[in-house]
Amino acid sequence: MALLEVDDLRTYFPTREGEVHAVDGVSFKLEERKTLGIVGESGCGKSVTALSIMGLIQTPGRVVSGSVHFDGKELTNLKRREIEDIRGLEIGMIFQDPMTSLNPTLTIGTQITETLRRHLDLSRKEARKRAVDLLEEVHIPNASRRLDDYPHRYSGGMRQRVMIAMAISCNPKLLIADEPTTALDVTVQAGVLDLLEELRQEHAMAMIIITHNMGVVAETADDIAVMYAGQIVEQATALDLFDRPEHPYTEALLGALPKLDEPDARNARLASIPGRPPDLLSPPEACRFAPRCKYAGTDDCATVPPELREIRSGHWVRSAHPASERAREPVAVS
Amino acid sequence: MAIDERLAAERAGKQRQASFELALEATAGDGGARGAGAALQRASLWRDALQRFRANRAAVIAAIAFLVLLAFVIFVPWLSHEDPYAVDFSQAYQNPSWAHPFGTDEFGRDLFVRVALGGRVSIAIGFAATFAIMGVGITYGSISGFIGGKLDNGMMRFLDALYGLPYLPFAILTLAIFGTVNFWTMVVALTIASWFTTARVMRGQIITLKENDYVRAAHAVGARWYRVLFRHLLPNTLGVIIIFVFLELPGVVLGEAFLSFIGLGINPPKASWGTLAQDGYGAYQTHPYLIVIPSLMIAWLILSAFFVADGLRDALDPRAREF
Repeated sequence: MALLEVDDLRTYFPTREGEVHAVDGVSFKLEERKTLGIVGESGCGKSVTALSIMGLIQTPGRVVSGSVHFDGKELTNLKRREIEDIRGLEIGMIFQDPMTSLNPTLTIGTQITETLRRHLDLSRKEARKRAVDLLEEVHIPNASRRLDDYPHRYSGGMRQRVMIAMAISCNPKLLIADEPTTALDVTVQAGVLDLLEELRQEHAMAMIIITHNMGVVAETADDIAVMYAGQIVEQATALDLFDRPEHPYTEALLGALPKLDEPDARNARLASIPGRPPDLLSPPEACRFAPRCKYAGTDDCATVPPELREIRSGHWVRSAHPASERAREPVAVS
Repeated sequence: MAIDERLAAERAGKQRQASFELALEATAGDGGARGAGAALQRASLWRDALQRFRANRAAVIAAIAFLVLLAFVIFVPWLSHEDPYAVDFSQAYQNPSWAHPFGTDEFGRDLFVRVALGGRVSIAIGFAATFAIMGVGITYGSISGFIGGKLDNGMMRFLDALYGLPYLPFAILTLAIFGTVNFWTMVVALTIASWFTTARVMRGQIITLKENDYVRAAHAVGARWYRVLFRHLLPNTLGVIIIFVFLELPGVVLGEAFLSFIGLGINPPKASWGTLAQDGYGAYQTHPYLIVIPSLMIAWLILSAFFVADGLRDALDPRAREF
């Protein structure tokens, strides 16, 4: 039994124009101590997937159907008080923007100790001691002195470290990192990623890393799920996905990475994917990538929705034209 | 010759020093946040606000005027030998003089002391009603904004309906229902008539703050609703609440004065500024000071409170200053 099993999760947001199908049938499994990377471009439903797992979807949005099975519990059926007890204790979460994720009117120490005392039976003194340990664990120098500082005296990277300290403070079994490095300077991104990996090993956590940056998941994830328009379009081990991408979208994403080691890289144009992601109010009926896919149009893939199928052991893809089944290159290159 | 040269050099030196000091002041003023941070000051948010408030000349003058007025109403009745309730017809309608700085009324009572006492009543009612308004408005607004959804919608429509009712008739009606006018019924009437705006603003504040990442982060570590509300939302509205105290206060004082003027005031021989103005109204052609002085006191309070509120808004929310 995996630690986390998400099955056919659907999260919809009613709007004036209609229902936005932000997450539309997402399924995956995550074993203990493993790392899953979820990649995809903005608005593809990565963050909503994470928030749905945590039960943090704000009204009027709601999880319409599907199940989230975590450590023997069905999270979607829990009462609010019950899932609040799990948040922070068994599942920790880190958000994208550390600059705004800390309350500017409370000291760092207050914010960490309140999280600790919320879930663990600690005295004020014990909690404070544990908070110092935590800050040291995320490599913040002078931890005991900096505990009484307000957030404005911390840099972005340090604030993200504080957020990480808070997320792991109660030894969760699962850590969800929603774009943990996106808002940070490039120079501190690697440090934060290393820290996450270090903590994951020490605390024996499973981790979900959500990102739009292929480089981030390449280094840390065991498995990678590629999301497009609210669905997972390809899922495989990190190595297999990078070596032999099957879905045209994944191929295009990898093709869009700048290649600095090629001889004429300086003068080459950056590759991009033509078109834009579909409107989630009325997504394409069949394959959602079809309008942008250079292999589409030669068969019925634009009318028959492709299923997520296992093309080889451990490698799932949702496309009528996975790379290994392609007989020929496309006729017309757009 | 030599003396002239020395004088010139000295003058130049003084000028240089003066400009240096000016520059120092300028850096201290604009670099408030950085300066405070560097000095390891804890509550730099409030310190910055105080600094910005001090830099606002109108607000500082208004604050001083406000304090002077408070001192006047607090200390004058203590220090004066005049009995504010002693009737002495031989002293009736005395124009302002050294013995009676504000003159005397138709019963020969010293107006200086009576205005101070009336000010106590007016300002006490003002503060009491303002705090009651804050209490009701903050509670209503936070519940509405925090819970949101249908409840929010219902509560706001109810508020809209109340908005439709005219302000003073509402207060008059409340007083009529109570049947008597005293300090507390006056406070209740004024509160009932004017808590709407605070409630609306609080709701708006809570809804805005609710969208903050740190509120989401608090939910993500399992914080209960009361923790989110009392730890993360309400403390961050403190600035707005302080501003609103000074915005509501003049309105309430004016409302009280108006009610008193039309005869729904505190019962004699006690008085508020409104009832004093009402008393003076009877003789305003022969003794205009009787109505002018209490009116000026009301204006003094209202103007100073408004300017303080304005300065506080600029100080606590510097981004709003551009508007």
